[in-house]
Amino acid sequence: MFYRESGDFKSTYSADQQTFPIKFDRIAVGVILAFAFVVVPFLINDYWEKSILLPFLVWGMAALGLNILTGYCGQVSLGTGGFMAVGAYASYKITTSFPELNMFLVILLSGGVTAFVGILFGLPSLRIKGFYLAVATLAAQFFLVWLFNKVPWFYNYSASGMITVPERTVFGIAITGSNSPPWATYLFCLTFLVVFAFIARNLTRGRIGRSWMAIRDMDIAAEIIGVPPLQAKLSAFAVSSFYIGISGALFFSVYLGAAEPTEAFGIDKSFLVLFMIIIGGLGSIFGSFVGAAFMVLLPVLFKNIMVGGFGWPTDMVQHFIFMLVGGLIMFFLIVEPHGLAQLWRVTKEKLRLWPFPH
Amino acid sequence: MNITQPPADVLLSLNNISLSFGGVKALTDISFDILKGEIRAIIGPNGAGKSSMLNVINGFYHPQQGEVWFDGSIRGPLKPYQIARQGIARTFQNIALFKGMSTLDNLMTGRITKMHANIFWQAIWKGKAEKEELEHRERVEHIIDFLEIQAIRKTPVGRLPYGMQKRVELGRALAAESKLLLLDEPMAGMNVEEKEDMCRFILDVHDQFGTTIALIEHDMGVVMDIADRVVVLDYGKKIGDGYPDEIRNNQNVIDAYLGVAHE
Amino acid sequence: MSPDILNTLEVILNGLMAGVMYSLVALGFVLIFKASGIFNYAQGVMALFAALTLVGIQTGQVPFSHLINVMFGTNYHNWSNGINTVAAIILTMCVMVLLAWLVEKIVLRHLVNQEPIILFMATIGLAFFLEGLGDLMWGANIKVLDVGLPSGGSFWLEDVTKEWASEGSEYFGMYIDVLDVWAAGIAIILVVALTIFSQYTKTGRALRAVADDHQAALTVGISLRTIWVVVWSIAGFVALVAGIMWGSKSGIQFSLSLIALKALPVLILGGFTSIPGAIIGGLIIGVGEKLFEFSLGPLIGGATENWFAYVLALMFLMFRPQGLFGDKIIERV
Repeated sequence: MFYRESGDFKSTYSADQQTFPIKFDRIAVGVILAFAFVVVPFLINDYWEKSILLPFLVWGMAALGLNILTGYCGQVSLGTGGFMAVGAYASYKITTSFPELNMFLVILLSGGVTAFVGILFGLPSLRIKGFYLAVATLAAQFFLVWLFNKVPWFYNYSASGMITVPERTVFGIAITGSNSPPWATYLFCLTFLVVFAFIARNLTRGRIGRSWMAIRDMDIAAEIIGVPPLQAKLSAFAVSSFYIGISGALFFSVYLGAAEPTEAFGIDKSFLVLFMIIIGGLGSIFGSFVGAAFMVLLPVLFKNIMVGGFGWPTDMVQHFIFMLVGGLIMFFLIVEPHGLAQLWRVTKEKLRLWPFPH
Repeated sequence: MNITQPPADVLLSLNNISLSFGGVKALTDISFDILKGEIRAIIGPNGAGKSSMLNVINGFYHPQQGEVWFDGSIRGPLKPYQIARQGIARTFQNIALFKGMSTLDNLMTGRITKMHANIFWQAIWKGKAEKEELEHRERVEHIIDFLEIQAIRKTPVGRLPYGMQKRVELGRALAAESKLLLLDEPMAGMNVEEKEDMCRFILDVHDQFGTTIALIEHDMGVVMDIADRVVVLDYGKKIGDGYPDEIRNNQNVIDAYLGVAHE
Repeated sequence: MSPDILNTLEVILNGLMAGVMYSLVALGFVLIFKASGIFNYAQGVMALFAALTLVGIQTGQVPFSHLINVMFGTNYHNWSNGINTVAAIILTMCVMVLLAWLVEKIVLRHLVNQEPIILFMATIGLAFFLEGLGDLMWGANIKVLDVGLPSGGSFWLEDVTKEWASEGSEYFGMYIDVLDVWAAGIAIILVVALTIFSQYTKTGRALRAVADDHQAALTVGISLRTIWVVVWSIAGFVALVAGIMWGSKSGIQFSLSLIALKALPVLILGGFTSIPGAIIGGLIIGVGEKLFEFSLGPLIGGATENWFAYVLALMFLMFRPQGLFGDKIIERV
């Protein structure tokens, strides 16, 4: 009864194309954003920041990026970890070479560098398709991690081989390093996520988004009716890598503070983000967030219940998580390839009609 | 083989086209033309090479021999999407809709050759990108009205019944507002009513927009009714070319369809 | 011959051996891909799971003992001192067949008409699931696998090759692990057996029919489900052999599942549908990796084996996407 759109007819095309055509949705999103920006900074503490909110924001960004490439454009990539590393190391080199540069700019530039690298590694997609492309992205993953391990210029010749972020401030407040207050890092990352989610929404509903989806669904027919495959695929790689680069830069500079390539950006991260978008929903922006939230919260939940509650050893919990995630992947691919986002959409449709059954 | 410019009223001219895959010759020395504003039917038994012919026109297959003239100039080594930009639109024998998108999105994709706002405008969805989007939306809505598919605008096309999908695919091709429209068996698998609807749409398109149409079709009744001229292919060779009545009485054509052996 | 040439020869031989090991894993992939068009990412984990199960049965471990102990406060670990190796292998094989049947019933049957990429991602899910299951059943600590295969260097070989060195040069003979030689031999036997099976037996023919066209195979009365269980069981057997070989060499540990990733370049070189191609691809990758690391590795920091295979595969993909022996991909509209 409350979730209705009857009487809510659109009289212009621009109204019809809105992101949130139903009034209830618009209000809900507004409330959530207001809560996120205004209320949460006062409630946040270290635990919430480090264990839940920052990981969600960072991985949400990465999931958004990978979903653009794999969910919208159909190009499978197992190189997400490697591209996050590019973003991280780019941010490290930029901020250590130009200490006065505002961190917002540093992160954006890191994204730009990653976009460029993404285009480079995306060139094979013009000749290779489907999961053969996955192998090409594996080359990117392993090569990039090796590169950042082996070439000392990347870690400023430090003896440990690790990169550590120097303390940086934005508007006078520390954003990186151990002195940064949780609400500051949270707002910093939240800003990026909200702005880029908005951009992603615009890109995916316009000409470029349609060209991506056309390539995904029927690439030969797409080309015959005029979609330029080169531009479509490379733009998907570029935009996706931009997002993933930003997520990597934020992951390193704001969340971790210090990183070592194999551990922080290994292939397990590539799988993690892939799982996020499969469970959350391929080709859905909302799904990217749901998937990220799911994969971030799951270990936290399990740890609290099983270790805290039942007293089980942590490695056993880890095995359970593997089984659960693997099982869920198979489940979703069989039952609902469009993931949780689709389940949500179906629920909303039923809500629109409630209390009528159809 | 002389390279001569076709006369001004010819939209598409195929001269001595030969196409083979590995050892298999799909098309042998085919020449015919399509005049501006006509409806040209391409018929022939299964496996005659009709779809391959369309693929050559689209630029998806490159003939080993022969040349293609389109709209007064000879075709150079172009990619299919560049050829589409020159003004050729197409439907496919096995529906090639973008199943993950809605009807509206499929039709909007049909107009992609006319949309140019760059990525930065699109990212913020204001200014040039928004204007372009709304403009093309309006044009697409005309086609939606024309084809009477308003009710399924937002439905993902994967969920539509076969006949509707065929209609949406026609819509996508129409959305391109092209000079030449290639229809590959647009009525395959339809019942009588659906066929009548499709015929009506095709004729209306031809009358209202003056589009030149090349049509592959098996239903002889349809061909005789709506085609201006007919080309007949068999085993990759041209065995007939002329007005419907001439073709109907052509012994070679009759033999081909009845399966009489040839040398 | 100079020590340099002999060293290079040694690297090549070791590369061939390593290549054979890769091929063992790649074989499983080829079988499943040929018969069902599915790229089974879980093949590597299946090898790990098979090896874990073998050791577990062989040493008389109680499955899920850790879980049971934690949940019920009991203290079970082993129910016997161990079973003889051959019996353990047979029992493990039964487990793998059961696994094949379950996978077909619960996963494959429902994904029949999906695109390859969905199937691939489903097998990634399967891989993670199996890994968690294997660890939960038998424990995740590194285990030693001993099925009685000899290992270590061969003094005889070292002595013989020492003779080949030119006069007066310092050369101590080639080190080639006997286990690797056994692995090579077993792999060759396996490949020959599989090729004969595929070409000359009724089931083998049915397998090839299914690989070509599911619908057509159904119309001549071939049961898709049975074939798939058969194929996954054979792949399970190949996984077991691979698991035994790799496990004997370096112990059973999580990294075994990453071998699956290495098999991908092997398949790209050899073609996804060719059994001999899996061997040749494996050999090329094995030798290529070792030679590259040996010759150019020191110049660029070493550890190039991490990525060389993939980059090589990438270059192949650009120029010959179907691999050396695979079927050419023709696109139609």
